[in-house]
Amino acid sequence: MTQRIAGTRNYAFGDELPPVIKVLNQDKINRYAEASGDHNPLHTDPAFAATTQFGGTIAHGMLVLAYMSEMMTKAFSDAWLMGGRLKVRFRGVARPGDTVTARGRIVRAEGGRAVCEVECRNQLGDVLVSGSAEVAIR
Amino acid sequence: MTVSLADLPKGHEFAETRFKLTPKWAAGYRAAVEDETTPPSTVSPLSLGAVAFRALLDQAALPDGAIHVSQELSSFRTVEPTEGVVVRARIGSRGERAGWVLMGIELEVAEGSGDALMNGRATITFPSPPDQPE
Repeated sequence: MTQRIAGTRNYAFGDELPPVIKVLNQDKINRYAEASGDHNPLHTDPAFAATTQFGGTIAHGMLVLAYMSEMMTKAFSDAWLMGGRLKVRFRGVARPGDTVTARGRIVRAEGGRAVCEVECRNQLGDVLVSGSAEVAIR
Repeated sequence: MTVSLADLPKGHEFAETRFKLTPKWAAGYRAAVEDETTPPSTVSPLSLGAVAFRALLDQAALPDGAIHVSQELSSFRTVEPTEGVVVRARIGSRGERAGWVLMGIELEVAEGSGDALMNGRATITFPSPPDQPE
């Protein structure tokens, strides 16, 4: 029998969270640089970035993470906004032109919290970010 | 001149930085990350993370070749886009291996009274700086 999780819009263990899908481009990366104040040329200067190990600009890790946060807000609303926890590793880079998909799955309850496995992948299936996210459950 | 994170030791505490969040800033952040879910009456935990990074980068530049390795973040209540916040940061760990520095930076965003709104830890790595002459 499926075990429903109280306080999570009737999610059950094993349920997938609604994914968030974004298509990156240089303009969006530049806008994030403006909003965050992180003007590292690796993100914003294609000529400089071409000389680095990445061969071109890459998105800020925190921009990719924002897509994951939006997925958690979509799934859990205030429970995420007022008491969410996130622990992730950056495993790959997102580039202009990439389609980034944030996905998650509820895997267990622990200490009054629902624990989700979360990840972002690009259109090739490469993992960009992976880890866990938690929200309090009532 | 801004120092580089590469020059800072474990235990270094950054100066407290105060920010006044504004609806315009919050709307700019939401537009930049295309967040169609967070209501305009609040700001996302990741936007507070971005504020914390901004405070850090105002005081110390990222070394060339720096890579964001991992991120931990906890939020403690909803935050309105009109609140004043205080950012604190310190270098919690610094180790070196195989020519790379691994640095853990502890970040906290608090309200004026001191209660934490968000805290977290960013781990970055960058090439070890060349030895300085004696």
